[in-house]
Parts: sequence; structure tokens; C-alpha cells
Amino acid sequence: MNTRLNDPFVIGGHTLQSRFFLGTGRFPSPAVLQQALEASGTQVITFAVRRINLDDLADDNVLQHVANRGFVYLPNTSGASNADEAVRIARLARSAGLGNWIKVEISAHHRTLLPDPIETLRATERLVKEQFIVLPYTSDDPVLCHRLEEAGAAAVMPGGAPIGTGLGILNPYNLGLIVEEARVPIIVDAGIGSAQDVVQAMELGADGILANTPIAKAQDPVFMALAMKLAVEAGRLSRRAGRIPKKRYASASSELKGRLFEFAGTEGEG
Amino acid sequence: MAESVLVIGGGIIGLSCAWEAAKRGFRVTILEKDTFGGQASGAAAGMLAPFSENTESPDPFFRLCLDSFFLYPSWVHEVEEASGRRVELCRSGSLNVAFHEADLLPMHTRLAWQQTYGVPCEMLSELELRRLEPELSQQAIGALYCPGESHVFAPLLVDALMEVCSKVGVRLIPHAGQLTKLEAGASSGVSVTMTDAGSWHADRVVVCTGAWSGLLEKWFPLTLPVHPIRGQICSFDGTLGDIRHMVFSSQAYWVGKNDGSLVCGASEDVAGFDRSVTERGINRLTKWSGRVFPFLQGSPPQRSWAGLRPATRDGWPLIGCVPGITEVILASGHYRNGILLSPVTAAMVGDLLEGKAESYNNAFRVDRFSRTAERTGSG
Repeated sequence: MNTRLNDPFVIGGHTLQSRFFLGTGRFPSPAVLQQALEASGTQVITFAVRRINLDDLADDNVLQHVANRGFVYLPNTSGASNADEAVRIARLARSAGLGNWIKVEISAHHRTLLPDPIETLRATERLVKEQFIVLPYTSDDPVLCHRLEEAGAAAVMPGGAPIGTGLGILNPYNLGLIVEEARVPIIVDAGIGSAQDVVQAMELGADGILANTPIAKAQDPVFMALAMKLAVEAGRLSRRAGRIPKKRYASASSELKGRLFEFAGTEGEG
Repeated sequence: MAESVLVIGGGIIGLSCAWEAAKRGFRVTILEKDTFGGQASGAAAGMLAPFSENTESPDPFFRLCLDSFFLYPSWVHEVEEASGRRVELCRSGSLNVAFHEADLLPMHTRLAWQQTYGVPCEMLSELELRRLEPELSQQAIGALYCPGESHVFAPLLVDALMEVCSKVGVRLIPHAGQLTKLEAGASSGVSVTMTDAGSWHADRVVVCTGAWSGLLEKWFPLTLPVHPIRGQICSFDGTLGDIRHMVFSSQAYWVGKNDGSLVCGASEDVAGFDRSVTERGINRLTKWSGRVFPFLQGSPPQRSWAGLRPATRDGWPLIGCVPGITEVILASGHYRNGILLSPVTAAMVGDLLEGKAESYNNAFRVDRFSRTAERTGSG
């Protein structure tokens, strides 16, 4: 059964089969990066524009290892500390031939790297006007996420926790509210530590996951890429299947009444 | 009689381990399949740059690099004294150059944690950078400057280590061919067969076979995801212009050597065990060199070469005994940092030969990828 066939994921007019986006940074070697990308089944990859050889994309250190594999490029503005810088980076990326998707990433603090909400909103508004497909990385504030959607973001990408921390979904309540209100895809970006965080985010109703550090810095990045791919699918299916309500006391999965041997039924069959 | 040790692999790691073992009283023979220092050691620019090579966080690998960095000056002094050769240890300092305003924030992040390790680093403004490195492109807007980082001339270090090994009685056997058999047992010692050098027997073996280390999986219940990454590297006529520091950028680095050459590296190619130099690989370096140092525009490199680096799944080396078989020690997977990590690796291997405990909380243990063995208890 291919469940993904009946579950299209559309961003900026692109229909994607995979709900899992990967960052290409920090991998121990380009061979491990290639194998992890393969294992993840991802179709969208993100990378920092500042690290790219914009004069010659085919020659770039990282892109040379991922070219001709049909990936949609989601260049990001990481390192930008205000909207002006982010807009300049986005224009550089587009004119270099990296396409018109852009992940807005604006950090104001060098230690937490938390996104600057005001500059992120400003950059999103401006880049939407310039016909970019804008995916802002933002804090998990439901009102801000809604404002980014109104500003024309193609998808909104709240963080579960600060970048690279692996702390997981620190505020599942907020993520639940964000998902409830959203009319564009919600992609959890940043903070994921392992596959269980991925499942949690997807069960809460996220439409997709973006991860880099928890894969690249796992002891085995290829296994973790596969684990998270499966977690995205498992979490999505679990969300759609609908979980049972939580109850305070046990309820046996088969009735005791009518059994031949009354006491043999106590273990249940669930 | 002293215990005997075979070292398989004559790269910088094997030579360093052999010398260390001999200094600690072991009788040592090195078996090198081809020529000494021919692979990753040959492709190395010899940078001793623990800060520039570890930009993310102070993890155990950074500690390993830093410890080795601190060992280097006295280690090199000893090599030079004992060999009567110079290896050109040069404390040039390093510059990680920013070409985008967005490069500055990650540099500040890096600086914040790196500053606390006893080696001064600082941010340079555009003006300060121009004063330190006048030939840099006008596109450069600043840099992270680490004045303590240094470099050695790797081929000279290989030669000097061969010399010191000979002087302390290590037997050096080049052109030994492939390792085809390795047997080990607590009472019987180790037996090793090389295609072109026959069979050898010793009490212990240290395997330093770099990119080829995965072959140990044939003889031991270990998962060793070591894979070759080709590094292509070239050098320019250094008299064309003056580069005073090691210069790092997102696409390449440059190091000026005492012989007047300017080394530029290095590609990271996924090409299996193919060691050839490609036109595309070298063109990448030369084109980028011209952008960063305008005086190099249009000048072809004088020399280009390649070697295979041993990469691992997690980017960290494998240093330790094969579990349950203390006669067999592995020291491999140093990827881009073998020159830097030689002194600390040799010290760790020396300790292992003397039966001392593994260090760094076993972060570099050789069975860390062998999880199924743990579960079944067969490891």
C-alpha cells in the first residue's frame, strides 16, 4: 500500500511526494551526505547561500555532490541578521540560478540563533512581493505564524527548539495551535533530536519536517536519515488514522464475558 | 626479549605510531603496501588548525585535535633533533575570510566558544584584514584571525619520521603489497601476510591502513564504515605574490610553503579508490584561487596531485583495540586531520601497547559502529 499517493503535499505549486526536507551542512563527508539524501527520500534540500560558489554553481563544494538528482533547492539566508541582508542574499541566490525558493532565516543572537520575528516578517513581505516562494523559519508563536501566512509565505516553518540543540518539540501546545489555524503547510524546522520528535511533530499535525544537524551529526547519518523518513510517514499516518482518547483506567481489548475460561482472558489480546 | 610490533601502513599515522612504539621499547616493523606517505599524507597541506577545522562545537573530536595541536611543537622539535632534518613548522596564523556579511554571525558564534581554549582568536575588520593580507580580493570584508594556528610541510615530515624510525631500529618495508591475512590469538601473537612481502609474525599489530581499513571486517566481528574520499590538491608559484597566513574560504584553502610554493586544496571527491587527478577538480581550485587572490588569475598550477583520505560515518577516527583481542590495535579514519592528529594518535597507541586504558571516554573506540555485536554478545 503506497499511502503517500493519496496524500499530496503542495508547496508553491510543486507537488512533492516526500514531506521530509534535508539540510546539507555538517556532514562528515560528501559520500555520507549522498547516502543520507538517498536514504531520506527527500526532494527538497536546503543550504546556506553564503557558503555557495555563486559564480559557478556546478563547481560548488557541496552542490557538485547533489547536482542532477532532481532536488528542489531551498537556499537559505542563514547568517543574515536583518531583513535587508536576507533580501540581498535571496536576490543573489536567484540571480545565480538557484531558483526562486528561499528559506528566510534571520538570527539576531549568536548563541541561541533564535529567529528575529520582526525582521523575518519584514523579509517575508518583501520577498513575496519580489515573486519568491518564501518559506520563513520562525519561532513557534501562533500569531506570528499566522502573520507570516498572511504575508504570503508558501509554507511556515516554526522551530521546535533552537537550531542544532536536539531538544525536540518544546512547546507542543503552540505547535498544535499553529497547525489548527494554518492554511499553508507547516514544516517543523530546527530542534529535532531523533525520530521520536519527528513522529510527535507529525502527529501534532505538522505537514512536513526539515532537519539537518540530527542527521549529519548522528553517529550513523544514513541510518538516522532512514529512521526519520519512516518517522515522517509513521507520524503522518498516525495523525490521519486518529489516535484513541487517553483514559485513566484499563479497558480490555476483548470482553471477558462469554469466554470459555474466565481467568485466561485477563491478559487481553491487544 | 622486548615484545614485537608490526605496523601495517606507512602513512603519517603508521610512521608516528611506529616511532612511538620503538621509543617505548618495542621491536617494530612497518609494512607499507606501496610507498611511505603516499596517500592521505601526500595529499595533505600540513595544516595544524584545530580551530579552523572545528567550527561547530567543543566535542571530543575538537579536544583530540586541540590536544595534538598542543603536543606538536615539542613533538616536531624531537623529530627534528633526532632526524637532523627540518620539517618547516611555521606559525603563520590562519585567516577564515568572510566574503558575505552573513559570514560574520557564524564567525562570532564560533569565536564565542573557541576563545575559551587558551589560544587567542579575534575578528578582523576589513581594514585590519587588508593590512595583514594585502593580496586578498577586495571582496573580502573581514576575517576570523587565529594567530596561533600553524602548518608543517607534510612530505618533509614523512621523510623525517622515516629517518627517526630507522635510527631507533624500526624496520621499514615498502612495496609490501596488499594485506591478505591477519590472524591473532592471545597466546600465539599475530600473523600477517602481505602479497609482495610474505608472512610476518609478532606479538602485536597496529593497523594504520587509512582508507583501506574496512578490510579488517574480513577477520574481526566489527563494522568499520571507513570510505575513501579523494583529495586533489595543487600548488602555484609562490613568488607571484605574497600570502602570509593560511587562508580558509568556503571553497578552498591556501598555504604558503618555505620552498616558495603556494599550496591550494583540496577537493573532496566521491570516486572510490581512484587516485587520478582530474582536470575539473584542479580547475575548480585554480578558478577559485583567482577570485580570492587576483594575482593568481590565469596562472596554471605548477603541480597537482591527489591522495585518498580515510573518512568514517561520523567523521571521527577509530583508535583502539579490537574488543577482546588486545593484540590488534586500529588507528585509522583520520580523514582531513591525520597530520594534526599524529602526535596524539601515537601517544594513544603507545598507551594501548602498554595496556593502559583507552582515553577520551572511548569516544573513538573501534567498535562503535558494531551495535549488533553488542546485542548478541558475540563482540
